[in-house]
Amino acid sequence: MRKYWIVWKKSLKSETIYRAAALSGILSAALSFLIQVFLWKSLLGTGIRQDASFSDMLLYVLINSFMLELTRTNVASIIENAMIDGTISMELLRPISYKGYMLAQTLGKNSYGALTATLPVLLLSLFFLSGASPPDLPHALLFILSALLGVLLMFEVTYLAGLLAFWLQRCWFISFYLRGFRTIFGGTTVPIWFYPSLLKALSYCLPFRYMTFEPINLFLMKTPLTEAWVPLLAASLWLAGLCFLDRIVWRAATRRLTVNGG
Amino acid sequence: MKDFWKLFIRFFQVALRRNMAYRGSFLAGIVGQWIGYGATFLSLYILAASFDRLGGWNGAEVMVLYGLSLMSYAIGASFFFNFSTGLTRRIRSGEFDASLTKPIPPFLHEVFSAGYNVGYISHFSVSLVIIVLSLRSLAYTVTVQSVLLLLLMVLGASLIQAAALIASSTMGFFTVGNNPIADVLLWDVKEFTNFPITIFPKGIQFVLTFILPFAFLNFYPAAALLGKAIPEGYPAPLPYFSPLAGALAFVLSLLLWNWGLKHYKSTGS
Repeated sequence: MRKYWIVWKKSLKSETIYRAAALSGILSAALSFLIQVFLWKSLLGTGIRQDASFSDMLLYVLINSFMLELTRTNVASIIENAMIDGTISMELLRPISYKGYMLAQTLGKNSYGALTATLPVLLLSLFFLSGASPPDLPHALLFILSALLGVLLMFEVTYLAGLLAFWLQRCWFISFYLRGFRTIFGGTTVPIWFYPSLLKALSYCLPFRYMTFEPINLFLMKTPLTEAWVPLLAASLWLAGLCFLDRIVWRAATRRLTVNGG
Repeated sequence: MKDFWKLFIRFFQVALRRNMAYRGSFLAGIVGQWIGYGATFLSLYILAASFDRLGGWNGAEVMVLYGLSLMSYAIGASFFFNFSTGLTRRIRSGEFDASLTKPIPPFLHEVFSAGYNVGYISHFSVSLVIIVLSLRSLAYTVTVQSVLLLLLMVLGASLIQAAALIASSTMGFFTVGNNPIADVLLWDVKEFTNFPITIFPKGIQFVLTFILPFAFLNFYPAAALLGKAIPEGYPAPLPYFSPLAGALAFVLSLLLWNWGLKHYKSTGS
């Protein structure tokens, strides 16, 4: 475990060097938050739709963007580049699981961005969040559990799709597919509450809604405690199933890999 | 002028061949872009449809709005994306200096040799389909004038997109590195145009119209085509000036680039 902790810390530290990038991250986060504020203000005003109010939506946007920022990575491109320049052979020699290494690196890299970008926006949002109340303790605990599962699930899906890089020559496009599916079936842009029924039904058949949508439902106390086990169980099953799958894929990938010099 | 086109076509062929080297990836990438941008279209449509109106615009109208933005981006970026994103790297590595020694203006040589980006065919195709379908569902009357107006609007918007890319690359002459702040100004501010600017407060509407004129990308063109209301107090014929705004932005960005070039000192590598 200590090994992964060190990777996390080093990745975090390397990010802190780029001051200009941090500043632009803040600016960019603030701008996109501002857009969402005006969007939902004009849509909801002071009213309520599908049980969602303006302050609900702001919390939705905040939690959503924080979780997306935390898990933002492009495993496919990392593997692609490592295969092209041959460093992949070094990566595989390390006494550390490649997946664990990727996870620690991703979280380390993004913690800085997520914190520097989200904190100012959070402060900014205090001006707009007047009617919001924090969740009660059981909901808060369930939210943390579910958000943890959501972050792991998001990483897992990205990682599994990224392993395809071992079979493809170029794979810059994998992230487009992932982002598209996550937007459509995960409710990362428009909450699934507002979806037409067909799309809503489809979202239950895929893992994407358990990434950020279900955790936020718990935070906003829209999922009653008696039903909270359903999304939690579904997320765990998806995670376990995909972990099992990535082992098989990983084994096939490393068997197939030929390193041409380096 | 004949030489210009001969050169352009030759450079175009080279770019096409370069893109097609990995044919499978190229096609998979196009489908990926369809899914990615399709998701954005779908989200906007769900929003406008489930709330009935978005800033006074219905679902199909919002589709035209975003469709114009994506189509003009496809056109502008297919010519200038490679050029714009590659310039800093070429300055740092010294490759850029070669363009100064060519018998055509450095700007043209940079644009030509960076290559036409064929990949934007995906953005173009998806936006074309959406715009045509939405205009049909809005019972848009097709006449010679209305089609000409549409083409003019797309041309003007493409010039603004091109101007944004050219302007952002100019920073490379001074910083010799990436300039994330300039990128934010250009890319994140452009996000505002995904929605009718009528949902924003007056100050933002002013900035988007007169300072960073992204509203002329799609809001004013779509307002002209669909006869939508523009912000209160703005002159009524303003939407029809969109192509002019595009041409102006393009010329200004060229002047800016050449001004940047004058202050360029080679890295000597």
